[in-house]
Amino acid sequence: MLICDEYLTPVSLDEAFAAMHQHRGRSRIVAGCTDTLPWAREGRAGDVEIPVLIDVSKIPELNDIKVDERRVRMGAATPIQRFLDNAALARAMPEMPRCAVWFADDQIRAQATIGGNIVNASPAADVTPCLVAHEANVELAAMRDGRIVRRSVALRDFILGPGKTVLADDELVVAVECDALPGYGGSFEKVGHRRSLVISIVCLATLVKLDAQGRNFDEVRLAIAGIRPVPRRLHEIEDFLRGGPLSSARLEEAADMQLDLVQSRTRQEYRRDVVRGFLVRGLINAAKRAGADPDALTPEMEAAYG
Amino acid sequence: MAELQIKATVNGRKISRSAQPSQRLLDFIRDDLNLTGNKEGCGAGECGTCSVFVDGVLMKSCLLPVAKAQGTQIDTIESLAKTGELSVLQKAFHKAGASQCGYCIPGMVMAATAALRSNPFADREEIKERLGGNICRCTGYQKIFDAVELARDVQNGRLPATMLDGIDAEQGDYIGKNVSRIDAPSKVSGKLKYAGDMLMPDMLHVHVLRSPHAHARILSIDTSAAQAMEGVEGVITSADVPGEDGFGVFVHDQPVMARDKVRYVGEAVAAVAAEDPLIARRAAAAIKVVYEPLPAVFSAEDALRPGAPVVHAYAPDNITKHIPIRVGDVEAGLAESDLVIEENYETQAIEHAYLEPEAGLAYVDHDGVVVVISPSQNITHHRHMLAKIIAKPIAKVRFIMSPVGGGFGGKEDMIYQGMLALLAMKTGRPVRLVFTREESIASTAKRHPSKTTLRMGLMRDGRIRAVAFRMIADGGAYGLSTEGVMRKAAILGAGPYVIPNLQMDTIGVYTNNTPSGAFRSFGALQTQFATESHLDIACERLGLDPFEIRRINMMRDGATTHTKQKLKSVSIGRVLDAAEKASGWEKGVSGQRNGRGDLNGEGLRPAVALGARFVGDTKQEAAE
Repeated sequence: MLICDEYLTPVSLDEAFAAMHQHRGRSRIVAGCTDTLPWAREGRAGDVEIPVLIDVSKIPELNDIKVDERRVRMGAATPIQRFLDNAALARAMPEMPRCAVWFADDQIRAQATIGGNIVNASPAADVTPCLVAHEANVELAAMRDGRIVRRSVALRDFILGPGKTVLADDELVVAVECDALPGYGGSFEKVGHRRSLVISIVCLATLVKLDAQGRNFDEVRLAIAGIRPVPRRLHEIEDFLRGGPLSSARLEEAADMQLDLVQSRTRQEYRRDVVRGFLVRGLINAAKRAGADPDALTPEMEAAYG
Repeated sequence: MAELQIKATVNGRKISRSAQPSQRLLDFIRDDLNLTGNKEGCGAGECGTCSVFVDGVLMKSCLLPVAKAQGTQIDTIESLAKTGELSVLQKAFHKAGASQCGYCIPGMVMAATAALRSNPFADREEIKERLGGNICRCTGYQKIFDAVELARDVQNGRLPATMLDGIDAEQGDYIGKNVSRIDAPSKVSGKLKYAGDMLMPDMLHVHVLRSPHAHARILSIDTSAAQAMEGVEGVITSADVPGEDGFGVFVHDQPVMARDKVRYVGEAVAAVAAEDPLIARRAAAAIKVVYEPLPAVFSAEDALRPGAPVVHAYAPDNITKHIPIRVGDVEAGLAESDLVIEENYETQAIEHAYLEPEAGLAYVDHDGVVVVISPSQNITHHRHMLAKIIAKPIAKVRFIMSPVGGGFGGKEDMIYQGMLALLAMKTGRPVRLVFTREESIASTAKRHPSKTTLRMGLMRDGRIRAVAFRMIADGGAYGLSTEGVMRKAAILGAGPYVIPNLQMDTIGVYTNNTPSGAFRSFGALQTQFATESHLDIACERLGLDPFEIRRINMMRDGATTHTKQKLKSVSIGRVLDAAEKASGWEKGVSGQRNGRGDLNGEGLRPAVALGARFVGDTKQEAAE
């Protein structure tokens, strides 16, 4: 169990940094707690005694959501559920509702936060590949010499490896900022052992923008996770598809590109098969939601990958 | 320790109470507010039976530090039927027979309530998806989904409210009829008290110290530091057992706590009773045990090899029980067969994973009767064994069976009741032990892992001439139900078929793995998996339909089984007919059909996918 002497709930960044400073070396930051509490159990960390827990989920700035036509800014304590119930967010990040519906379960996604998902830096994190596809930056803040200092780090640079990030021990993740992609079609493909509370074996975020006729790719964004230490943007496939026609042959060709993506320790063969299928299925689903011409793809292909 | 002062509204009432900062909301509502309707099933956010509304949003209270409840409105399962009148959903759960053991049901009802609040018109797929964070081990979920659909339709006026009325059994006529479950209202409302929900005045909390070794000699146990801790009222080891220290369903080979040596990881070594669970935990950690690790054996095959480590001195060959059955002449039968097929089959250990982890209370009453309350599936046998263990006449031992939150055979073993009795006797106070999920998985029985070699001789027309069947099963460190499981395996394993020449050997073996024990089907699963798989393979080789080969070989009324039991009536023929019809079976030889005909067609179920709540959107997208 997780044992603490004090549980602090600061309501401003100043209060949070004061607590972090006062209890430096004997405290831990928590937000949703959906990973921290199961971690402190037998078989994982066991009984953990942390003198002070600092819960940052009540700080207003960490709950702020701003969306316009170009950018999205989400406070780090934004629960995953917002992607399902905030229409502006869902419009700017069209793959995220699909990601969120696969995320843990209805209860946990009301509590688990986007900041927690990023800081955990799990190779199987679901939110991270989506954010990578949106070119996300992580906004960090620290109290240094009596004033709040902020810096912004690209998410792809923020995560160093499983469980490892560039976060300094006096820093907090305050917000995530990324491209808004309204008008894109989005998909999130994921496979695990069951449909709820499942850790991704492979997950793929796909965003597609088509021309007015729904026959050509104007823009494609793909990011994959669960198969390597950190998520990976698939620029090679994006470049291949961009500007070209939406056709069954093109999608098959894209899926056949030899990128050596799977670096997992286990089930590599299975994952390679899944990655290929997901690339085609993700592109089909995203293209349909982007207004694809119904005749662009063969019915056989849709049936095979649907 | 900086205590918190929690001010919140719980089930409509304002509260202001102090709380420990390490407490979870689940601990606070169950232990401090005594609202025990919502349960703890896993403590790790997996099972959902702890789900409560926080400001109207359903959350898992085992994942919420209590501080997060500050200033919120909390609604537990008790809020749904405050006036005593069940909610529409609760009535529907009753009507549909959705509650069996009942332990998951408070969480299920809460999740269903949340689902229909989010979408009062949710279809079955969306209901499944929205209940995805909740686990049930009894129902197979179908009746739960039926209940939610029934409630939805009544709420929406598509069905009359009378659909929720109870079922009146026709006078004296129960068999083959639907009858109302009389225990359902207590389960759907969360009112039923399982052992872990029960309190007694002056009650102490128990924590068990468990072995980190698979096989080790215990050189010494020093409990002095634990005994000296403030709040610790009693510490016990095997030295505190006054009588014959052994229990088991067949052979009494397991001591209440490890005696002289430990035989598996998770075996109880000592137990502490203290004023609160945290003190008990810390005291158990302060017990010093010196072990001398011994070579251990981790598979039944290895345990049977000459020179293997011996788990129990009384069984130097590590065999717990061998059941041999011989009918006719197997070698002759195989020799005269047209086709002999030999295959190997393996099954793994399986955890019962009942939603209610083991829990129990014990006290010594005014007459000196030692009373144990627990969800035991075998209280009479437990009572007899405990009387010997604590050296008291049977009249001074009483067992009370609390509601069983799922058992499936896993609660037949007296794995912790002895410790409870000893601590109640030692401290003179009531004691309670509630297992964590991890503890339940680590220390209690599993389904026997098995390895089977099966040789079957058949004639070209599909008739079985001979079967040579040998299963070795990993019984783990103690006997528990192994003997019975081997017997049932030998009796049932060859299936309901006429086999003129049969040689059946089922062998339960001691190893240093977690003990194996009773589990639904009791040895029939492992063996019949082999037999039925073998018949399917035979079909492919002989070009027969799988139903056909079973009809050719099935026993008929008046048959005598290989264990000499005369069967007046045999129902396999009717079962095969019904299964063939219900499954929409396409006649033919196994392995020669293509694809799956059971998905996605008209009247067929959809493939499992997530995103049912977007189905409306997709239609909208298509329309746009």
